[in-house]
Amino acid sequence: MAASVRLLVRRVTRLSHGHVTVCPSGPSGPSGRCCWAPSSCRCFSDDRNTHFGFETVPEAEKAKRVYKVFENVAQNYDVMNDAMSLGIHRLWKDTLLHVMNPQPGARLLDVAGGTGDIAFRFLEYIRSQRERQRRHVARSMQALSWKDISDVYAAREGGEDGPRESRAVVCDINKEMLKVGKQKADSMDMSAGLSWVVGDAEELPFDDEQFDIYTVAFGIRNVTHIDQALQEALRVLKPGGRFMCLEFSKVRDPVLARLYDTYSFKIIPVLGEVIAGDWKSYQYLVESIRRFPDQEEFKRMIEDTGFYCVRYHNLTGGVVALHSGYKL
Amino acid sequence: MSLVIEAVAAPTATNPKCSSLRRGFHCAALRLQDESKPYKPPTSSSTTYHEHYQAHSTEQDTTAASQGGAAADPAEEEASRPNTSYQDQSGEQGEEYETEEQLQARILAAALEFVPQHGWSMVAIAAGAETLGLSSASTGMFYNGAGDLVLHFIAQCNSQLTEILAEQHKHVQLGQAEPKKTADFLRDAVETRLRMYIPYIETWPQAMSILLLPHNIPDSLKHLSTLVDDIWFYAGDRSTDMNWYTKRAALTGIYNTTELVMVQDSSPDFQDTWNFLDNRIQDVVNMATTAKQAQATGEAVVQGLMGAAVTLKNLTGMNQRR
Repeated sequence: MAASVRLLVRRVTRLSHGHVTVCPSGPSGPSGRCCWAPSSCRCFSDDRNTHFGFETVPEAEKAKRVYKVFENVAQNYDVMNDAMSLGIHRLWKDTLLHVMNPQPGARLLDVAGGTGDIAFRFLEYIRSQRERQRRHVARSMQALSWKDISDVYAAREGGEDGPRESRAVVCDINKEMLKVGKQKADSMDMSAGLSWVVGDAEELPFDDEQFDIYTVAFGIRNVTHIDQALQEALRVLKPGGRFMCLEFSKVRDPVLARLYDTYSFKIIPVLGEVIAGDWKSYQYLVESIRRFPDQEEFKRMIEDTGFYCVRYHNLTGGVVALHSGYKL
Repeated sequence: MSLVIEAVAAPTATNPKCSSLRRGFHCAALRLQDESKPYKPPTSSSTTYHEHYQAHSTEQDTTAASQGGAAADPAEEEASRPNTSYQDQSGEQGEEYETEEQLQARILAAALEFVPQHGWSMVAIAAGAETLGLSSASTGMFYNGAGDLVLHFIAQCNSQLTEILAEQHKHVQLGQAEPKKTADFLRDAVETRLRMYIPYIETWPQAMSILLLPHNIPDSLKHLSTLVDDIWFYAGDRSTDMNWYTKRAALTGIYNTTELVMVQDSSPDFQDTWNFLDNRIQDVVNMATTAKQAQATGEAVVQGLMGAAVTLKNLTGMNQRR
C-alpha cells in the first residue's frame, strides 16, 4: 500500500511539473471551444467526438494529444519498439519492403514515418537492386564483339541520362520524431536521397501525382480522420502507384488473442514506464490498437476511397496486417 | 503496486465518478492543475505549426516546380493513354471501363518489347507499365513476376496459332486450298509456332527455365497440352481410342525436342531446326507405318502358324473325329 501511494505521489508531482501535459478532456473539460486555425477548413461542432485510446475526446483535440504523446516518446521510440515487439517489428518492416519490391527509380512517400525506418530500408533495397543490375549488365557485356563494345561507349558518351534516382520523403506531423530520424540518418550516413518534411497526413503538403509508393507504417491509427488520410494518399500517388499500410490489427485465433491482450495491457505500459518513464503514452498505444478497425473493415475503407486490387496479408497471426492497394 | 496495475488494466472509461482512491487522487490533481494554470488558447501553438507548415509547403513547391519537368512527362503519357478510367469499383465490367485482368494483360503485352533488353523479369514489366503511363509500383500486382510474363506470352502465341490454323481450315472447307497430308500439316504447324519465338530467341533459355520452376509447371503443362491438342484437332484427328494419347505424346516429344534444338541453332533462318523437325516427323510417320506393318505381319504369321498346326494335326491323324 505504501509503495503504491509513493508511486502515485511521484506521478502526481511529475504531472504537476508539466512533464506530461494531459489536457483536460471529456465532460470536465471547458466547452464552447472553437476550432483552431490550420484546420479551419474543417470546422467541427463540439459534439463531434472521436476516440483517443479508450477515451472519447472532441475531434479537434485528438491531433493535439497524439502530438504530445509522440513528442514524449520520440527519444526512446526505437528502443521501445524493440523492447515491446521483441525485435519482431524489424521483420514486419522487412516484409513490407519485400512485398513492395520497389524498382530502381521509384519515389517513396513515407507518411508518419517519424524515425525513418521504412525510408532507410527502401534506399538499401534500391541500392542492392541497382548493384545487381550493374553486375548483370557487366556480365552480359563480357562476351560482346568489339563493335558492340564501341557502340556502348558511344551511347554513354552521347549523354544519355543515367537511370532515375530513387528518392524517399519522410513526412511526419511531429518535429521531434523527424529530428530523431535525421540524427539516425546522419549517424548511418544515409542522407543521400532522403527528405524530411513536416506535414499532416490529412492534408499533405505535396502536389498531385508525385509519388510511386505511399507507405504508412503504424501511423494511420493515430490520424483523426482516416478516410481523409486515404483520400490524400490517392491524390499524391501517380497512376499505377501503390498504397501500402502496415498496422496493428485483430488477432483471429482466440488463444493467441488472449496472450496478446495480456501482454498488451499488462506488460507494455510497464515497459513504457521502466524504459521511457511514460506509462500513459504506451497505454494510449495499446488502446488505440484496439480501437482501429479490423482487416476486412479497413480493406473496405481503402476500396471505398478508390483503390483497386486491395489485398491484405496477416503477419504474426494477425497482430499486424499489411494492406495494399493500387491507384489505377 | 498491484492496486495500480489493476486500476490501469481495466479499460479507462469516461467515468467521471472516480470511484477508486487512486482515481480520486488523479482527478483531484487534474482539477488543481486546471485551476492553477490559465487555459492557454490554442492559437499560439497552432500559428507556429501553421508557419512551419507554410514554410515547408513553399519549400516543397519550389522543389516540385523543379521536378515539374519530370512530372510533365507522365502527365503527357497519361493524356495520350486511351480512356481507362476506373470510376466505378462495382461496375468493373462496363463497356468503356477495363477490368483489372485486362489492364494486367495490357501491361504484359507492353512489357514484351523490353524483354530483349531486360530479359524475362520484373524490370521488363516495370518498363512496360511505364510506357502505359503507370508507375513502376504497379508491377506489384503480378505475384508471379517473370512467370506471369512468360505464361502470358505463351498463351498469346497459342491463340495466334489457333487463329492461323482456323483460317487455313476455313480455306480448305471453302475449297480454296488443298488439304495437306498429316505429316506436312504437322510440320507447318510446329514451324509456324516456333517461329513466334524468333524475336526472343536470345532470352528464350531463361524463359524455359522459368517455366520449369515448380510453381509454374502446372500452368506450362496446361499450355503445352492445349497447344498439342489444337494442332491435332486441326490436323483432322478424331480418334477416340489409345491413338489419341499416342499421337499427342508423339507430337509433344517432337515439339519439345525441336524447341531445344532451336535455342542453340545458329544456322541462317534456323534451317537446321526445320531439317531436324522434318526428320523427327518422318520418324514418327515411319514408326506408325512400321507399327501397322508389324501388326499385319504379326497377324499373318499367326494365321500361318495356325494353318500349319492344323495341317500337322490332320497329317498325324489327331483331328479325326471318331
